Amino acid sequence: MILAVDAETLRQLTVDGFFRGCSYGLLGVGFALILGVTGRFHFAYGFTYTFAAYMAFTFTFRVDLPFWPSAVLGVLVAAVVGAAIERLVYRPLAANAGPTALLAVFVAALGLGIAGDNLVRLFWGSETQAYFGPTKKAYHVWDTVFLNFDVWQAASGIVITILLALTLRYSALGRRIKATRVNPDLARTIGIDADSTYVICFFLGTICAGVAAIWYALKFTVDPAMGSSPIIYAFVVAFLAGTARSPIRVFITGVLVALIEQYSSIWLSVRWTQTAVFVVLVGYLTVLAVRSSAFAARFRRPIMRA
Amino acid sequence: MGRPETIDAPADVSPQVVLRVDQLQAGYGRKQVVFDVDLTVREGEIVGVLGHNGSGKTTTIRTILGLNPVIGGRIEFKGRDATRSSSRNNVKAGMAMIPSERFVFADLSVDDNLLLGAANDPDPERRARRLQLVRDLFPILVERAGQSAGTMSGGQQRMVSLGTALMASPTLLMLDEPSLGLAPAVVHQIFDTVRRLADEEGLAVLLLEQNVGQALRIVDRVYVMRSGRVILEESADEMRNRDSYWELF
Amino acid sequence: MELWLNYLDQVLIYATLALSLNLLLGYAGQVSVAHASFGAIGGYAMGYLSLTHNWNFLFGTVIGMALAFVIGSIVALPALKLTVEYLILLTLAVSSVILGLLIATPSMGGTFGLIGLPTANLFGWHLREPHDWVLPSLVAMLIVYAICHRIGESPTGRVLKGIREDPISTQALGKNVFGYKVAVFGISSALAAFAGALLAAWLQLATPSVYGFAFALTIFAIVIFGGMGNLTGTVLGAAVVVLLEPVLRRVVKIEAARASIVQLIVYGLALAVLMRVRPQGALPEGFSIWRWLRGERARRHRIEMVEGWVPKSIGVHERAQAEGVDDVSDEIDRHRKWLDAPVVLETSGVGKRFGGIVAANDLHIELRRGTIAALVGPNGAGKTTVFNLLTGAIAPDAGSVKLNGEELVGLNPAQVARKGLVRSFQDVRLFNRLSCLQNVMMAVQHQAGENFATLAFAHRRVVAVEEKTRTAAMDWLGFVGMTDFADVPAGALSYGQTKLVSLARVLATEAEVLLLDEPASGIDTRWVDTILDLIETVREQGRTVCVVEHNLHVVGRLADHTYFMELGEITAAGTIAELTNTPRLAEAYFGTS
Repeated sequence: MILAVDAETLRQLTVDGFFRGCSYGLLGVGFALILGVTGRFHFAYGFTYTFAAYMAFTFTFRVDLPFWPSAVLGVLVAAVVGAAIERLVYRPLAANAGPTALLAVFVAALGLGIAGDNLVRLFWGSETQAYFGPTKKAYHVWDTVFLNFDVWQAASGIVITILLALTLRYSALGRRIKATRVNPDLARTIGIDADSTYVICFFLGTICAGVAAIWYALKFTVDPAMGSSPIIYAFVVAFLAGTARSPIRVFITGVLVALIEQYSSIWLSVRWTQTAVFVVLVGYLTVLAVRSSAFAARFRRPIMRA
Repeated sequence: MGRPETIDAPADVSPQVVLRVDQLQAGYGRKQVVFDVDLTVREGEIVGVLGHNGSGKTTTIRTILGLNPVIGGRIEFKGRDATRSSSRNNVKAGMAMIPSERFVFADLSVDDNLLLGAANDPDPERRARRLQLVRDLFPILVERAGQSAGTMSGGQQRMVSLGTALMASPTLLMLDEPSLGLAPAVVHQIFDTVRRLADEEGLAVLLLEQNVGQALRIVDRVYVMRSGRVILEESADEMRNRDSYWELF
Repeated sequence: MELWLNYLDQVLIYATLALSLNLLLGYAGQVSVAHASFGAIGGYAMGYLSLTHNWNFLFGTVIGMALAFVIGSIVALPALKLTVEYLILLTLAVSSVILGLLIATPSMGGTFGLIGLPTANLFGWHLREPHDWVLPSLVAMLIVYAICHRIGESPTGRVLKGIREDPISTQALGKNVFGYKVAVFGISSALAAFAGALLAAWLQLATPSVYGFAFALTIFAIVIFGGMGNLTGTVLGAAVVVLLEPVLRRVVKIEAARASIVQLIVYGLALAVLMRVRPQGALPEGFSIWRWLRGERARRHRIEMVEGWVPKSIGVHERAQAEGVDDVSDEIDRHRKWLDAPVVLETSGVGKRFGGIVAANDLHIELRRGTIAALVGPNGAGKTTVFNLLTGAIAPDAGSVKLNGEELVGLNPAQVARKGLVRSFQDVRLFNRLSCLQNVMMAVQHQAGENFATLAFAHRRVVAVEEKTRTAAMDWLGFVGMTDFADVPAGALSYGQTKLVSLARVLATEAEVLLLDEPASGIDTRWVDTILDLIETVREQGRTVCVVEHNLHVVGRLADHTYFMELGEITAAGTIAELTNTPRLAEAYFGTS
């Protein structure tokens, strides 16, 4: 098929894809950290995303705080909620469910997600609301257009990802997290407290979601259903990259997914682009299934030996 | 030779008993696999637990460490009741265990593995001292400090695991089949190190082995387990003087 | 009144879709969040054909079902090898693709979907009002209920549950796990399409939002609420979930807009709480309202009975344990018998490498009729690998395995089992949520009811064969002394008892050759004798047995011939006395020198 676009459009698509990808990447980094270390299928991740945006919104417009403090507070409150979900819901549930913990946590997370989104509706209303924070500015560089929010989003995404990678690489906390992820049984054997490590991962992972949510809210609006699409992307990116992989790799995968989405709009109508991503995903899973022995070794945690 | 025999432990109340296990019953849920096990380990003593696969050795030490629930009986560590304490508290109190498989964090560097062993020690000075001690014991670990543990040879991985355990300054070290998959010369080297630690540092060691020959080189006393029970306790010398071990397995 | 009838229609239609999901999720244990989109296939097919070609909605429904069957079966192919988290991801992706394709296809109405569908015409009866719909949707629900019940509560359903509990051990009993998974995915998808078409006909529209993710979650929640594996529970779950909103609105008098929000909060939180307090759902698997109403409470299995129970030794041989190794005359006797016995299974040159590691090299093993062979060796010698190679769980790189002259290499474990070579597992692998009797019944071969076609068309035969199967399974349970535990779920047994049931299960296959992986390990001494007596009886019945065992007393007592393995090779063979008198083998085993 012929490339039916000029260089200018291609550049704009690349720029759009990159900025969008920074959001996908950050979402994926947080989700992969949670799923990779704790094995919890945290579907309520989408709700914590929405919640962060709404909390920041509330701090700005109800408490009258300036934008930046409200954004930070909103993200932190959401992160505390994320950690609380692990501590108060998933942990007792998983301990109870034993071998079927994955499904039980998934169902509970679905329930929490539904309940959470609707609590947001109940308290803040169902309508979409504009979040007027800092002034929106557009930059024109090399025939492409993007916003100051785009730049901040990319910058914060890259900074958080690198900070997380450095933490995992060099700090004691990072060692603990990696140890729990690589070999949870041995981690327990040498006296590492897996429970608190899990809570920390939920806290950090939710921060990633929250930050992504703030930029989305500024660029577009806040609405109760704003988390339903990000959770899917978080999911897809984390799995495509491999949940046990370094944050940097996950982030780059997020950018690539967004670029695929953008470029596919060259050949496909815009409404097909999301489908294109999922077609890629189905293809990827099929390949994985075919090479399942290699794949099991790569992703599955070893079964604890009696 | 045939009838399992038990020697009554000497009537000691001496302070140097590190671990005393009394009539331990253990297993997984309702699936009991360890029955009426009595064990004692003293300071500076290496005690072998011999027996075939599935004889209940591993379950016994996992239960002592607190990874498996106690169904019945009592565990006493350094004079304190440790029957129901968590693995984390037991590790803090001075227990260490090295499993028979997957005993290093494969994706992590050698140094990371070692430092994880001291994760519960808040004192940086002591940590540094322990790290130096481990590096003196196994100089190869200094050379390979940055290498992923999973890419090392089996013997080197064993050294990493031993180093990780030692970083926590344990009083009791429980080793689950450390000779598995290693060449005899490497086993010699590792076992000699363990013997030295017991002699010089007073480390109490519980050594689980199927490899009787290697174990007998360093142990002071042995227990033999079969079908979840201790069927024999005797000194290492008595064990060495046996003609054959087949009837014990 | 019409309004409540409308809700009743909705309950019935939602229940229909949820029933189709329960067949897949509850019985076969395959998590799918794609069922709403299979419903969409039915709804869109029906809608498109009735809008553009004026087809009666029934014909459109059938086309939709066929389409969904094919697509569902195709989806099942990669799904076969995926773990739960990847299965969720795959079905999520598939449903996104299906909906994405529908939205992106202009003839399907794009984002608006197909609206203004003609009134459904059921043999001249126009279904306009809610009360018109009550009967048809009730009948539709009952049909799907009956189909799911017919499959789920039959021998086929037993196999599906086996796949849910432990696919590897299901396959080891000779079941075609692959075929069952594909079939159940296809059937369940077709039934979902049926329900989806019904929904579209009732709403007179088929739009992306009707079959969206929210609907998928609702259906999923209904199944979870009602109880996975319980069809009555699903109908109940549908009623609760659907009626929550109108009850809140009209009975609790919450205003309309808030009621739908509160409904979702309530049921979202309820899902989370349910997973904590009652993960099996409102009606657990196996619970029947009808039996409960008649006053038959499910028998409570007294745990103390399970714990205090001691096996009745069947007393074929009363021999002291310690004698085993030294009992020379008996050994010679048995060895003579071994020499005379005809070879049943023969391997030659079997080898397997994993990367650089040689797991098995040039194996020559013979198993002879009416004898017991044993495989011994130090840890990590590759004994269990031999079982995996013989049963096709691992394909050998080289060599051949012949059972009565017939080549087994190249067959999968199910085919090997059906040829008459069956194994047990070191870690037992019973189906924990099934009763002991069901565990053993699963092993019986040639069951008419394990075939979808027979199930549909030959009810009488299925019943007759099932009765025979039950009798056979009870006989085997009786043989191992576990008759009293026929109705107890296998997960409630003690370890020794699970070993007995696992033995009964292997025996019930009637396989000629039995491979027993550590039949006596990890159990209390007083149980060991019982198990050994049983295995000796099996030998006397003329079956061929091979055991892997670390307990040399067990080997000494049982084995007529022993193979000694080191590092993937067989380095010696003979009687256990011959082997234990070889100093080199003692060195290999104990590391002495």
